[in-house]
Amino acid sequence: MNAMRQLGIVSLLNFRNLRRRFWQSLVIVAGMTCVSGVLLSLLSVTEGMQQAYRSTGDPRSVIIVSHGSLREDNSSIPRDQARIIMNAQGIAKALDGSPLADSGFVTGIPVPLKANGATSYARLTTFSKMGVALRPTFHLVAGRMFRPGTHELIVGSLAQSKFKGMGVGDKVTMPNGQWPIVGIFTTGDLLDGVLVGDTETVLPAMRHNSYNTVIVRLASPGAFPAFRTALAENPVLTVDVMRLSDWNTRIGADSAAFFHVLIYGVSIILAIGALFGCFNTMYAAVESRGREIATLRALGYGSFAVALSVILEASALSIAGSLIGALIAWTLYDGVQGGMGWDFFKLTVSPAMIGMAIIWAIAVSILGGLLPSLRAARWTVADALRAR
Amino acid sequence: MKYFPLILAALRRKPIRTGVTFLSVTAAFTLFGLMIGLNATMDLLEQRAHADRIWTLARFETTGMPVTVARQIAKLPGIKKNSVMTYLQGYVGDPKNRAGVLFFDDQYGNIFPDQVPPQQADLIRHDRTAVVMNRMAADALHKKVGDRFTIISPQTNRADGSKNWPLTIAGIYDDIPQFPGPMISGNYEYFDKSVPLAEQGKINEVDSLAADPAQAPALAERIDKLFANSGTPTRSQTEKQIYSQGFGDLDVEALTRKIALIGLLMLVLLTANVIAQSVRERLAEFATLRTFGFSNAKLVGLVMAEAGFPCLLGAMCGIALAWWLALHLAAVMPPGTGIPAPTMTFAVFLWALACACGLTLASTALPIARLNRLDIAAALSRYA
Repeated sequence: MNAMRQLGIVSLLNFRNLRRRFWQSLVIVAGMTCVSGVLLSLLSVTEGMQQAYRSTGDPRSVIIVSHGSLREDNSSIPRDQARIIMNAQGIAKALDGSPLADSGFVTGIPVPLKANGATSYARLTTFSKMGVALRPTFHLVAGRMFRPGTHELIVGSLAQSKFKGMGVGDKVTMPNGQWPIVGIFTTGDLLDGVLVGDTETVLPAMRHNSYNTVIVRLASPGAFPAFRTALAENPVLTVDVMRLSDWNTRIGADSAAFFHVLIYGVSIILAIGALFGCFNTMYAAVESRGREIATLRALGYGSFAVALSVILEASALSIAGSLIGALIAWTLYDGVQGGMGWDFFKLTVSPAMIGMAIIWAIAVSILGGLLPSLRAARWTVADALRAR
Repeated sequence: MKYFPLILAALRRKPIRTGVTFLSVTAAFTLFGLMIGLNATMDLLEQRAHADRIWTLARFETTGMPVTVARQIAKLPGIKKNSVMTYLQGYVGDPKNRAGVLFFDDQYGNIFPDQVPPQQADLIRHDRTAVVMNRMAADALHKKVGDRFTIISPQTNRADGSKNWPLTIAGIYDDIPQFPGPMISGNYEYFDKSVPLAEQGKINEVDSLAADPAQAPALAERIDKLFANSGTPTRSQTEKQIYSQGFGDLDVEALTRKIALIGLLMLVLLTANVIAQSVRERLAEFATLRTFGFSNAKLVGLVMAEAGFPCLLGAMCGIALAWWLALHLAAVMPPGTGIPAPTMTFAVFLWALACACGLTLASTALPIARLNRLDIAAALSRYA
């Protein structure tokens, strides 16, 4: 008999017998359900956040921040430098001939939460003349755009649902008085969670005199290396130049990194528990099936087929548990509106994450099933037949 | 005690099974300890927060506050004294090595003796570039007393146009338990005289001491009212209020409890299965004991002891392991994340003990029910 056929027959026998070992087998399934449920539920937050960061901003855009900045908040670009950047070679031109470049500012403003009225900080960002032109997905869903130079704000659709008093006509407290909200917009990315005002109007109100970032669109995607070199070699500038998509992807990954340490730490401890459960169950299964295994061996089935069938059984149960856990996490969290700090996004349980949970299940079952399977393989026929 | 050999024999019957059960209990209680220990830390921080300290920050972060705000606050009846502070954020060497300095004036050491030891606060009074730091910060920067280093701050310009802040380490002090991260303290005068003239006299924070802690929340409101119509509105809270609001909209306590609970549920099934199996295999043995005159209660006690031994021992080892991990957690976490390490308080220990007892009861319930229905004749005949 060839080994594959043996393996098939022995495994089939194992699975047919599963019903008799229902409760024991349930330990493996439930253990892995817990591991994968916890892992995927927690990861749905960081995955959603990273996806939101990856999809934010026009892929043709390039961002300029001060050298060494890891986030927009800790970048500072003085006005004179911003002017030099905006007049650099390689930037696309708008219809009126001016460069497609925009200087921006970000800060936090205290506003009440809709949920409980507690004061929380919302993100306020600013557009100059080209703010809308650089964001092709931007469109108003209610009201109108703010007028440059006036104390007016527009609010993203997610921020509107999160904070209290964000309807058109409502007022937001700024350092120099109450600014009315005149419009509601959506972009389909992280900008939906922020308020937007006019750069040159917000800056003096916030008593600030430098920008955080300059965003530009290049005339052609290939112009990026030359553009970056030109800015890097300009002795007046101390800036970093990055594709906006790369910048956002990195921020998403940085923000997630800390949580990943916690999430994987918790999940690995749980998985160790599940692994011991798997070991105990498979060990018991092998012991209780001593005679059965011995009979198989006496009939000429190889020890390899018997050993592998034990691991296969553990894997099948683990994967089943893992999928149940994934289904629970997916039902509870996929697509749910979530947030972290002042980023608002949809939680995500992606197919890749479910794939990872299955890999975890296979790893747990191999580690947990290895020793029991060796035990099954090592048993001499005579000893096993004598067992109990 | 007389039955101890019986229990030991049951445990040693399948040593691998007992060992693995013990290990899985240890793993689950390590998780339990870390999760519930984190809650304990947050409770401790809340308890330790001073009710008489009021933190006043600019309501809008970029506006800062003029230093005169502190003088006006000091004049309010009920305020004993206050101290001003500015923040410098930047990095050392590589942008990934983030570092920040709190620059404060002479009064700080008197208001926060529990955060920076007063002798250490004295060290920065006379030398302008001197800083003191906790052990965590020194370890993160790989520095010792007397070393010089430079913080590069992308968003804070100096009067000479540079963004480099040279500093000298005058002292390093031991970490305060549960303090969530590195802390570097410097001299406010140095910061203030180094920034461009237009930026001088600006502060980020005023910390005030109220004469009567009961009046502190009202005083905080009064401070905010005082500056509500100024160009730099304030946001004041007592330290108690700040520590009791937790981590914004993320309910950490609920999350950690849920995870600990899932770990325990997994464990109940696992242990119950092991005990059920052990009882099933030894039905003849139990039947024999019954024929010897062992009462049902005694058999129940034996099963419970057999389950309780790995459960209680595993729980204690798990908590010990969690305690050890918590001590070394700071080393593996990315720096500056501000999550304090879990603390294994006596309450955490008691909770673990209670849960281990609950686990023993839950996992023996079904096997004991089976034992109660034990038909001696059938059990003996089947396995004779």
